[in-house]
Amino acid sequence: MADVIMPKMGDAMTEGKVIRWYKNSGDAVKKGEPLLEIETDKVNLDLEAEQDGTLGDVAAAAGQMVEVGGVLATILAEGEKAAPKPAAPVAVPAKEQDSKPAPDNAPSRRAIDKKDSIKKSTGEYGEAIDMKAPRIDRTAPAANVVAMPQAEGGRRRSSPLARKMARDMGVSLEQIQGSGPGGRIVASDIKNFKPAAAPAQQKPKAPSLPPVQQLETKDIPLSAMRRTIAKRLAESTGPIPHFYLTAEYDVTNLLALREQLNEIEGIKTSVNDFIVRAAALAIRHHPNVNASWGDDAITQHGEVHIGIAVSTPEGLITPVVRNADEKSVSDIAAEVRSLADKAKNRKLTPNEYQGSTFTISNLGAWGIEQFTAIINPPNVAILAIGAATAQPVVIDRQVVIRDRMKVTMSCDHRVVDGALGAEYLRTLRAYVEQPLRLVL
Amino acid sequence: MSEKSYRDAIREAMMEEMDRDPNVLIMGEDIGVYEGTFRITAGMLKKYGGKRVIDTPIAEAGMVGTAVGMAMLGLRPIVEMMTMNFAIVAADQILNHAAKVRYFSGGQVDVPVVIRGPQGAGVQLSAQHSQTFESFYAHFPGIKVVAPATPADAKGLLKTSIRGRDPVIFLESAALYGMKGEVPDDPNFTVPFGVSRIAREGSDVTIVSYSRMLQMSLIAAEKLSQDEGIECEVIDLRTLRPLDLEPAYASVTKTHRCVVVQEQWKPFGAAAEIAASITETVFDELDAPVARVTGEDVPMPYARNLELLATPHEQHVIAAVKKVMYNHG
Repeated sequence: MADVIMPKMGDAMTEGKVIRWYKNSGDAVKKGEPLLEIETDKVNLDLEAEQDGTLGDVAAAAGQMVEVGGVLATILAEGEKAAPKPAAPVAVPAKEQDSKPAPDNAPSRRAIDKKDSIKKSTGEYGEAIDMKAPRIDRTAPAANVVAMPQAEGGRRRSSPLARKMARDMGVSLEQIQGSGPGGRIVASDIKNFKPAAAPAQQKPKAPSLPPVQQLETKDIPLSAMRRTIAKRLAESTGPIPHFYLTAEYDVTNLLALREQLNEIEGIKTSVNDFIVRAAALAIRHHPNVNASWGDDAITQHGEVHIGIAVSTPEGLITPVVRNADEKSVSDIAAEVRSLADKAKNRKLTPNEYQGSTFTISNLGAWGIEQFTAIINPPNVAILAIGAATAQPVVIDRQVVIRDRMKVTMSCDHRVVDGALGAEYLRTLRAYVEQPLRLVL
Repeated sequence: MSEKSYRDAIREAMMEEMDRDPNVLIMGEDIGVYEGTFRITAGMLKKYGGKRVIDTPIAEAGMVGTAVGMAMLGLRPIVEMMTMNFAIVAADQILNHAAKVRYFSGGQVDVPVVIRGPQGAGVQLSAQHSQTFESFYAHFPGIKVVAPATPADAKGLLKTSIRGRDPVIFLESAALYGMKGEVPDDPNFTVPFGVSRIAREGSDVTIVSYSRMLQMSLIAAEKLSQDEGIECEVIDLRTLRPLDLEPAYASVTKTHRCVVVQEQWKPFGAAAEIAASITETVFDELDAPVARVTGEDVPMPYARNLELLATPHEQHVIAAVKKVMYNHG
């Protein structure tokens, strides 16, 4: 007889939640077969049987929190009998069976798939094609395929000349009614177009508001993740004496370099990928910001592992790019993308989100120009990266437009003093403003 | 300059070249004693004798094959086809020999042969004798394809054909033989291959054509100007191989609309090649799809009323011009 226990999936984990059982009490199980899905504070994962046998009593029903080390069930080897215990969780297996369906969207996906293949097939072979076609999930967005922005009411027809004229005049075809066949927008439509208010078209579109939600009073149960976020961040601002330093960097060259890099087939980088590399390289100059506070000593880390704050529907998680100072921008880009995808699907493994030595949080994509971040313990510093914005700047007594970005460093004053933080930001400036250093 | 018919201009070109170069000769069916089915060769046998004006049997493959051999050895034969429809019999000699000898000989041997004759509908010659062949021949590398629209071009282009190094398919429009126009008298007047001309200037729509359809397009353009105030620019391609579309590109860049006119069947015709090239080259200038005016997709009927229905006319060009202008009123 072997117990199935709640595993400890990381130092911070104290308990886990049973999401669902794949097996019922009495089912035969094989070694390696998934028994149940659990939720920890960071990820969801399947627990597998460690030996062949029969699933005995299930001790924790779906939805139940179980402490690390707590028994979830037992597996009986052949010939073994369950200890004659009062069957406390007897009701559980039956209930579990009801809620056991394979992934929720499977039926509808299949229906769409079938319809799709019939539509694509022709004539009398339609049936055969439908039967033999591989079950490709056409409803899933294909990797690497960028969806075309769907114009309202479908594609607008327009002549090549009309498009050229619209481009030259800075007029959007969406504002124009086409007079040609099938509503085709032709040159005369562009020529006769009177913009409602000339400067209005130059303005960027007003940002759209997120949908209005029903206001209601309700309790939202704390997920394991939300509990952890609350606990750890409170631990941070409470005991850690924070202070904040803000610097503004000229990122014009960095943006240009990124554009050049992205023209290379197969490379797709974000500004943040450059910042990750820059921050990691700057740490090499100031290893004392790459440290942890201990009651007896400050631990300075020998490797640079950059945590990257990623927002997921459930909350914040910081997957880690290990040895970021030794990786190229494009490697970092690929790794961050993969980690972010996993984070959003709650598929990160503990070694993918633990062990950071320094953290970066970037809210630039939300248009935030500057903010302060809370240190992610046991780190002693975090960088809060704002959006790059075009600004008038005086260079050589001339006003020129440059792209600027504000970076705010939160420091743990027990370890990092003001001057050290400032020096780090000065070094970071050299990397960010002379971005060729990042590709050396 | 003097006014001459298309027919006389062709004869004059041949005779001037025969006077100029003793290697030039002509052969064909009924061209000597009978002086040509379309009287193109009137007076030539008398002037140049039977060694240079050769009546042949009804054997087109033999005629062209002989001419290819003559040309390879330094003569400059002109082969008159009674109509270009009969040259199909000699297609192997034309396409597989005349067009390939320079290539096969590594550039050592030229084949300066001119195969000329009337083509096209409009004179009630029925399905076998009313066809046009420009897209057929222009498909092949190794030959030039010429299709003059005026007496002057007929003369100038034929002289260039006779003086050149290449096999030339010289397509005369049977319906234009009687057409008159100003022709330069200068015996050294020639018209180079691959230089299209603007036959009429205009700013609204570009019409691209050649041979008889060019004349019809000009009539349509005049009507459009008078009745509708629409000014068409009409481009005469003159030669289909080499094909000079630069003036058409420039014109479409100005007008943003284009109609291509050819006499015969729409599928895989010259108009398709021209329209595709324009779309490829000046796509961003187009305000409407390039329109084609072509003949009906049937073997040419003999009956006059049906022949008229099967061939393009001015009103077809006018309708196409209005269509590309989005003017259906």
